[in-house]
Amino acid sequence: MTLDWSVVWDNRWRLIAGAEMTVILTATTMALALPGGLLLALLRLSHVHLVRSSTTGFVEFFRATPLILQIYWIFYVLPAAFDIRLSEFVTALLGLSLNVSSFNSETFRAGILSIRPGQWNAALALGMTKPQVLRKIILPQATLRVLPALASTWVSLFKDTSLVSIIAVADLSYVSLKIRSETYRVLEVLTAMGALYCLMGYPQAKLVDWMHRRFKVVE
Amino acid sequence: MIAKRKTKSRPRIGSGTAPILSFEGVVKRYGPLEALAGVSFQVHRGEVVCLIGPSGSGKSTLLRCANALETIDGGRVVLEGVEVHDRRTDARKLRRRMGMVFQNFELFPHLTVLRNVAVGPTTVLGMPQRQAAERATELLRKVGLADKAAHYPASLSGGQQQRVAIARALAMQPDVMLFDEPTSALDPETIGEVLSVMKRLADEGMTMVVVTHEMDFAKRVGNWIVVFDHGKVVEQGPPQQVFDEPTVQRTRDFLSHLGWHGESLAAADLLVQPSSTDP
Amino acid sequence: MDIDISPLIENWQFILTGLGFTLALSALSIALGAAIGLVGGVLRTYGGKLLDSAIGLYVDVVRSIPVLAILVWTYFAFPLVIGESLTPFSGGVLALGVHLGAYITETIRAGLTSIRPGQMRAALALGMSRFEAIRTIILPQALIRMLPPLGSLIVIAVKDSAIASVIAVPELLRQSQVLAGKTFRPFEIYTAAMLIYFLICYPTARTIDRVYRRLGVLGAS
Ligand SMILES: Nc1ncnc2c1ncn2[C@@H]1O[C@H](COP(=O)(O)OP(=O)(O)O)[C@@H](O)[C@H]1O
Ligand SMILES: [Mg+2]
Repeated sequence: MTLDWSVVWDNRWRLIAGAEMTVILTATTMALALPGGLLLALLRLSHVHLVRSSTTGFVEFFRATPLILQIYWIFYVLPAAFDIRLSEFVTALLGLSLNVSSFNSETFRAGILSIRPGQWNAALALGMTKPQVLRKIILPQATLRVLPALASTWVSLFKDTSLVSIIAVADLSYVSLKIRSETYRVLEVLTAMGALYCLMGYPQAKLVDWMHRRFKVVE
Repeated sequence: MIAKRKTKSRPRIGSGTAPILSFEGVVKRYGPLEALAGVSFQVHRGEVVCLIGPSGSGKSTLLRCANALETIDGGRVVLEGVEVHDRRTDARKLRRRMGMVFQNFELFPHLTVLRNVAVGPTTVLGMPQRQAAERATELLRKVGLADKAAHYPASLSGGQQQRVAIARALAMQPDVMLFDEPTSALDPETIGEVLSVMKRLADEGMTMVVVTHEMDFAKRVGNWIVVFDHGKVVEQGPPQQVFDEPTVQRTRDFLSHLGWHGESLAAADLLVQPSSTDP
Repeated sequence: MDIDISPLIENWQFILTGLGFTLALSALSIALGAAIGLVGGVLRTYGGKLLDSAIGLYVDVVRSIPVLAILVWTYFAFPLVIGESLTPFSGGVLALGVHLGAYITETIRAGLTSIRPGQMRAALALGMSRFEAIRTIILPQALIRMLPPLGSLIVIAVKDSAIASVIAVPELLRQSQVLAGKTFRPFEIYTAAMLIYFLICYPTARTIDRVYRRLGVLGAS
């Protein structure tokens, strides 16, 4: 078997563009899924039973089904059944954000619930309103605690963006698979794809490990 | 009410004969720290040797060296002619002959009380489950916990857990029992039940090495007291000598630090709770 | 919008085959991942420096690469390395198992190191060998303690099996794609597939939670 790695070098700009798309998807999705997750978390703490249970159902559903299927569903079902037409990129963002928002909501909810009830009582006793307590006392404390979990989700998301290649969004996976089918240099291109992901993902994974050690809550 | 009880210390047993366990100039280092700086003393069959001394003085380290849970950097430990740290010695065979009881009990939380006691004989000696269970039941009866056999350790009080731990060690039918502060982690009200089990063991002739801060137990049950400080034995002798006429300033400091002033502490009453086997 | 579930009813065997493949793929990759994770976790914790770094490298590399990339590499590129082709199914099991194995390795290692050292000492003091102590005393506690994360990994394994559709394993998602293309009823078919996945994953997650609530205390030394 002869290997010809020049195919990787020749296509470097396409691969880099793919990697850029991967990063853009990750960052944009997280930017949407942070407020999305917070919103879902707050809805799950609502007093209205219907709001609480339907949000919970929504979150549990997204957490217990494959992301790849969610992307397919949005991609094929929205236009066919509801006549809603979105570009591939927007479809991808929508699928990823809904999924990651669900996971983030669990993280936020756990963070909020992890603050001792004494903190609520102390702040309410000062005469604050509930929204004030949430904004000024609970959320600032919860933020620090949820940081490691959010970072883990970030790394998962970074890898999960590869799934949007199935609807032809030109991320690193899509570009690599395309070069593979154009050049038939299967081993070289796919190995380069894995290596590029590893190159980008490894420092992130290490950073997350560090955050888990650094922000470990001891009470 | 201060009850002054005249206590008679036991005589040292078999001092003329060969010791069952002897420490000869044992040295143990952790990096630059010399946790044991040449420790020597002997334990004879049927004796209760109590190790006392301030925290950090090397008592636990010594016990761990006794059954080769730690390597040593000098000297030797000999169990009936067998050098414990010799490369040719099978440490596992040797550990079967020494039961160990820990400050934090270290019961196995995923096993029932019965299985905790039986797990040594079944895994180490290959004893059939049934036979091991019989032995375990008998030992649990002996420590007064037969009714807890099916419970898990988490549902037991500290004193009960420690009695199970003693039964677990006894299940291997050891020649020597090593106790590392067996009552230090206990609530005051459960200390007595553990001490009286230990006293009964001593009365039955078990050879015991006991690290303890229960001075009254040491004085009443011990045959020989070894005082540790900074990894060294600063004094050793029979209880009445060490407690009543300590020859070394270090010992006096340590005893007065514990509030020991020559006679019975209030804790003494815990110990002498009449148990049926008390003579 | 009209809903027509007749394509589902007419093709139920086709979908059932897909479900069968999904379950088989999940079960086998979980088995492979568990085997890798048990050996990897124990060796990483007790096997000395060299094994620790070697296994650590495997874990870190796998953790930084998407499952999709591992799947396509295993199915398309790996056969060129070994000169032997793989079926989609065996490629899927291998890739998903190796991927999951890295996560299980880390989880088991975290469990093992969280057991306090006194437990090992107590087991050794009874005369057990290190291997006996790990097998009968340390590992069971670690597994109980790590039940929640291990349970999440099982659910993730089932969900990840759907990604094997990209290498044409005829599992549930792949069968749904084929059916959706044939019948032009993507809404009904993908929705049904979604429900089936939910009905597998959600009860699994809840059951593990319930088991842990019952057993959790047994891992708390
Ligand atoms: N595993 C260890 N590593 C490093 N230092 C240790 C270790 N075990 C004990 N030491 C040190 O050895 C000294 C003696 O400890 P120890 O035997 O536990 O004392 P004691 O039981 O008398 O309180 C202490 O200074 C302790 O910090
Ligand atoms: Mg100690």
